[in-house]
Amino acid sequence: MNNILLRGLVLALGVGTLTVLLAGCIVPAGGYGYDDGVGVGVDYYEPYGAVYGGWGPGYHVAPFRGDGHRGAVGGGTHAYRSAPASRSMPSLPSHGGGGGGRGGGGGGRR
Amino acid sequence: MNSQSRSNQSNSLAPHRITAQRMKPDRVGRFLRLGLFVAFLGIANATPSMAAPLQLPAIVEPASQEHHVGKIVFVELVTPDLAAAKKFYAGLFGWTFRDIQAGGTKYAEAFLDGRPVAGLIHKDVPAGEHRQPSWLSFFAVGDVDAVKKVALQNGAKVLFEPHNVPDRGQEAVFADPQGAVFVVLASSTGDPPDVLANPGEWIWSSLITSDPDADAAFYQKLFNYEVFELPANPGVQHLLLASDDYARASVNTLPVNRPKAHPHWLNYVRVEDAVKMSAKVVALGGRVLVEPRVDRHGGKVAVVADPLGAPFGLLEWPDTESKEVPSE
Repeated sequence: MNNILLRGLVLALGVGTLTVLLAGCIVPAGGYGYDDGVGVGVDYYEPYGAVYGGWGPGYHVAPFRGDGHRGAVGGGTHAYRSAPASRSMPSLPSHGGGGGGRGGGGGGRR
Repeated sequence: MNSQSRSNQSNSLAPHRITAQRMKPDRVGRFLRLGLFVAFLGIANATPSMAAPLQLPAIVEPASQEHHVGKIVFVELVTPDLAAAKKFYAGLFGWTFRDIQAGGTKYAEAFLDGRPVAGLIHKDVPAGEHRQPSWLSFFAVGDVDAVKKVALQNGAKVLFEPHNVPDRGQEAVFADPQGAVFVVLASSTGDPPDVLANPGEWIWSSLITSDPDADAAFYQKLFNYEVFELPANPGVQHLLLASDDYARASVNTLPVNRPKAHPHWLNYVRVEDAVKMSAKVVALGGRVLVEPRVDRHGGKVAVVADPLGAPFGLLEWPDTESKEVPSE
């Protein structure tokens, strides 16, 4: 009887302790993708050592402003499909929205 | 008598024997029940932290019926020091923050004049790793799984499989064929409208890449962009990606004199004065990576980094036509 009692006691304490320890050790994924433990999270950071600069004269990143701009006369073949030469180049919106949307990115009817 | 006596004796002894026999199993049972109770408490304690999802806000509130595939609809900073990042962006743009926390994940939603502008998420850099915090670009899509299929067929790598984020929608993280990281999001509340950003809001994005030609083709397959070629110096390309008759982003050649640089997406915040804002970046502990310079639209562009090293752009978009003439 003493053995049964002891076994029961040890089992109960063991299960309880293990469960409590598990509860304390859990790192929740939170339902969000950045800590899922699959070892890719670090890829959300860019590799260290990127050196900016080297944007010499004529290195442009912005779109044209306003209507009527045509694309450069291309020539050659590209992996992408070029927009028709007759197409006027789109730009950013000319009208504000007074807020409402989140985030950004470009956009804009000519 | 004897029989009666034995019987009486038996009757008088029996309850003791029964009690003694029942007592030990009862104690065992009691301890087992105690153990189960402790286990229940442990599970009850653990379950909320395991199950509680990070409740991220929708990108559009109230929900809209607008969908703009290929538009960059959200940006999110991944940083190892959320407090420092919040202090910097609050000082620079006047953003305010609402903290969101679930389990071990810390997130801050950024606002400008009460309007949500970005998300900031804390993530430690593993010990021994040298990595740079960055702003992630979120592209609007209709079907994340369909985009994943096309992306994989065209040389992309999945960094995080499609998954649902409560209230926000379904998203997945990829590296494009040249290695630039981006996110696709099928927003459950629609996409933001196409309007001109206010100062302090995100206005533009550029992909700086080692192979603009191939990358433009890749993103065209994903988002059905129109691709325009803009005038550029010999040896470099400047492409414009458009959808819905709107300019969405540029694709530029990675400068060849920066061999350690890597393909990446760069997002720009609209500012009224790039020179003043660049000085403010430095005063707040950040760095200027590309000095303010006039771009083809007649406003200045600069690239800066926050104190943790995350790069982003500053872009003037004057209210009037062509403020200055860019150098060619």
